Amino acid sequence: MTNDNNENKDSKSNKDIDEFTGIETTGHDWDGIKELNNPAPRWWLWVFYVCVIWSVWYWVIYPAWPILSGNTKGTSGYTQFKELAASQSEIVARQQVYLDRFENGSLNEIMNDPELYAFAMAGGKSMFKDNCATCHGTGASGSEGYPNLNDDDWLWGGRISDIQQTISYGIRADNDDTRISQMPAFGKEGYLKSEEIEAVVDYVLSLSGSDITSTNEHGKTIFAQQCSACHGENAKGLQEFGAPNLTDKIWLYGGDREDIFNTVYNSRAGMMPAWKDRLDENTIKQLSIYLHQLGGGE
Amino acid sequence: MTQDIKLFEAQERIYPKRVWGKYRKLKWLAMIVTLGIYYLTPFLRWNRGPNAPDQAVFIDLSNAKAYWFWIEIWPQEVYIITGILILSAIALFFVTSLFGRVWCGYFCPQTVWTDLFVWVERIIQGDRNARKKLREGKWSFDKLKKLAITHFIWLVIGWCTAGSFVLYFNDAPTLVRSFFEFDVSPTVMWFIVGLTFSTYIMAGFAREQVCTYMCPYARFQSAMFDADTLIIGYDEHRGEKRGKHKKGTSWEGRGACVDCKLCVQVCPMGIDIREGLQMECIACGLCVDACNNIMDKVGQPRGLIRYDTVNRMEAEKHGKSEKFRFLQPRTIYYSSTLIAVGLVMLVSLIKRTVLELHVLHDRNPLFVQLSSGEIRNGYIIKILNKTHEHRTYTLAMDGLENAHIMVKSAGQIASDNLYVMADSIGMYHVFVSAEVDPANPRDIVFTLKDNDSNLQDTYDASFISKRGK
Amino acid sequence: MSLLDKHKKLERNSLLLLGMTVVVILIGGIVEIVPLFRMETIIEPVEGMRPYTPLELAGQNIYMRENCSVCHSQQIRPLRDEVVRYGHYSLAAESMYDHPFLWGSKRTGPDLARLGGKYSDAWHVAHMIEPRDLVPESVMPSYSFLMRNGAKLHNIDKHLKALRVVGVPYSDDMIANARIDANIQAIGDDVADTDGLAKRYGDKVNARDFDGQPNLVSEMDALIAYLQALGTFVDFESVKDVEGGAQ
Repeated sequence: MTNDNNENKDSKSNKDIDEFTGIETTGHDWDGIKELNNPAPRWWLWVFYVCVIWSVWYWVIYPAWPILSGNTKGTSGYTQFKELAASQSEIVARQQVYLDRFENGSLNEIMNDPELYAFAMAGGKSMFKDNCATCHGTGASGSEGYPNLNDDDWLWGGRISDIQQTISYGIRADNDDTRISQMPAFGKEGYLKSEEIEAVVDYVLSLSGSDITSTNEHGKTIFAQQCSACHGENAKGLQEFGAPNLTDKIWLYGGDREDIFNTVYNSRAGMMPAWKDRLDENTIKQLSIYLHQLGGGE
Repeated sequence: MTQDIKLFEAQERIYPKRVWGKYRKLKWLAMIVTLGIYYLTPFLRWNRGPNAPDQAVFIDLSNAKAYWFWIEIWPQEVYIITGILILSAIALFFVTSLFGRVWCGYFCPQTVWTDLFVWVERIIQGDRNARKKLREGKWSFDKLKKLAITHFIWLVIGWCTAGSFVLYFNDAPTLVRSFFEFDVSPTVMWFIVGLTFSTYIMAGFAREQVCTYMCPYARFQSAMFDADTLIIGYDEHRGEKRGKHKKGTSWEGRGACVDCKLCVQVCPMGIDIREGLQMECIACGLCVDACNNIMDKVGQPRGLIRYDTVNRMEAEKHGKSEKFRFLQPRTIYYSSTLIAVGLVMLVSLIKRTVLELHVLHDRNPLFVQLSSGEIRNGYIIKILNKTHEHRTYTLAMDGLENAHIMVKSAGQIASDNLYVMADSIGMYHVFVSAEVDPANPRDIVFTLKDNDSNLQDTYDASFISKRGK
Repeated sequence: MSLLDKHKKLERNSLLLLGMTVVVILIGGIVEIVPLFRMETIIEPVEGMRPYTPLELAGQNIYMRENCSVCHSQQIRPLRDEVVRYGHYSLAAESMYDHPFLWGSKRTGPDLARLGGKYSDAWHVAHMIEPRDLVPESVMPSYSFLMRNGAKLHNIDKHLKALRVVGVPYSDDMIANARIDANIQAIGDDVADTDGLAKRYGDKVNARDFDGQPNLVSEMDALIAYLQALGTFVDFESVKDVEGGAQ
């Protein structure tokens, strides 16, 4: 790229001087276009010096240089961990106004105080998305095997205190106080024969007002013997056992004949973790209120 | 072959000379009116009742509201401000195309404050020559004293300007009082310091450079000019050949211009208008005043430099006279646009209600099946209570048979007792359930009625009972 | 001034410029890298860290093969929002046995550094088979084939051996029993005798049939074993002095 045979070369100083401005060029020549070698602007130079001085200041104040025993700590004692702690305590302080009242307030008080209520709903919503949405869905509408929390059908009870208990200790979870019950696998374990299951399925289907209307005495008898202890004599379910209401329109594991047959044959036992050790008391309280207010709370 | 090429244009100091006359009087008047409005408006009061601020012109950033006398603007009504900006732009085009840069010459803050600063400069340091001498002269106690006083007054004006700006965003009397109690928030302080210095630099130092180099409006206003626009013009036909004139000698064979250069000395932009209309000219008319005064003295008719159109000057050259053409296609165009936009603004202001209902259908889940078989839809409703009183409302819904409404909020709230505080938005989660067959979305209408007046608003929504179409 | 003039010489001689550039880079490299050769200065002493079990290692191999780290990071930064969402920020010690580390640099999906124990095995299986069944807005591909493929365990002992070369403290005992441990972990303590596994890797090791297919040690078993172990090793009581404490 360089053109050493430049005609404008000053023979004495070996400098290439631009004809029009009298300023030295860089000596590079691109098809006759040359670059003036103007000095950098003075202000730029000063900015550069200031940056150099600033970097020295930075080394002194902040952790900077790696040394054999770790690194220089800096005079300000800055660490990311301290910054995190500070930003956490800042948030805690900002929430403290509500937290004190929230912590000491009964669920009833919180539900009637617009500020605390908004605090609980906001916190509950975000904690639900972080922790619960993976199974119950971001809208809490669940899916097969994971209950919809918007509706008014509750396996273990839909009062706030019930919800709080379920979140804290889970269902069939690894916790001593967890909610637990076990439906027998009537078919798999040989309690009922296939045709007996068919009969009881027919009976159950007729209860929830599906097309099967024939009075099914055989199924009814089996139900009374085998199922009513948990699901209740009227099949409306018993929340103390987490036994669902079989007369309504909501089926956690599907409401087809085949689905119900499978349920009776193999049994079902959904599992929900206990959140007591993962989430603090306030978060669980917020979640309980949030879920209760999704529309189905009792 | 070293040749000195100037790569940067250095600022040449301008010392505008004092001048008297019609346009100078107009300029003083414009200055007093505009600065008066600017400095005093924050202190005007306007009674809006106990639940709203009583400052007539007030931008309440923390509550996201703006008040202008009887008009109150909420964030979603920013279109009103957009409308005002559009109106201002069209008005600027309209005025510029007819009368030239009158905005620049008389009303632009840059012009007004520069004028004020030059006035201060003149009071302290004397007129043009004295100022020039002082500046170029050696340092002395006198020079130091005069400069110090000038800059001090400039800073005080800057401080007042910045302070007034901040007053528009705060309750003025409270903030002024807190100034005397040294109890001002750092945010306010930083704004005042920043604006003080920008006023000080813009009006004290940058001055005409702002108009010439920085201001985009200065450049594109020339695009609105044509031969029928009023401009500051030098009547070359009458003025040339210029030259010194001795009292009593004949005016035969020479022009009326006596080459006194007063028009140049009074010009705040530092141009010579006799070279023709220039980009820098802000049409302030001070050169017209200066020239008229001289023409009176030498006994020549006024108007050697005057406000006129290029067409009229041309016609006069040929001994004809032409009228100022007010009605032109563009004046019609600009004024009709102005009226149209104004009407739209007016209608939107009149139609603006003090009660609004907004309904947002829950997205997740879209609908919920209840154990009874009913379908339930959830809606977030927002009630905008723009009155200055706390109100309660009744929500009703039409379009679904046997539907019932349930409200979820803090406490047990019935749908006929929705409470919203004065000047605020109330938000409620509302559930509508009904026994319906799954079908395509049904159109429903929410109606919100004020319990204490006959105000009401409706909102069209839909009820979903089936996934997909 | 004379010193400043010399830079012209440097600018006009390409070889000299190259040489000096290398010198500058070397200085920077030495200053930044050499101190890190003393690992103990950057890895905080924590209790509970253990090497991955052979089955978890097989899972990590699948994680690498499927390039999960393109969409999932494994590093919780000491920032408030992250600590609130994912848990305690990651410690250097927690990835000291990762070769290569799988910190990732982009979160299309969530961070996985503390995934262990957060969800059930059944959830993981269902989610791997069809993510959208559980998270409708998910863009994660389906990994249902992991259920069908047997985990590649026949040479897992060689992986352990190789990792030992780069400093992971696998004992001879661990290497000798690698294949047995892997299978036993996937069969689970309901059926198999997991005492050996617990002795070698600690009794917190999850040993169960992760994928619900008792007759097959599938890739799903291995991957879920790995995922369920992520971020669960460190005993945070032991790092209280550096702990920020999440709220």
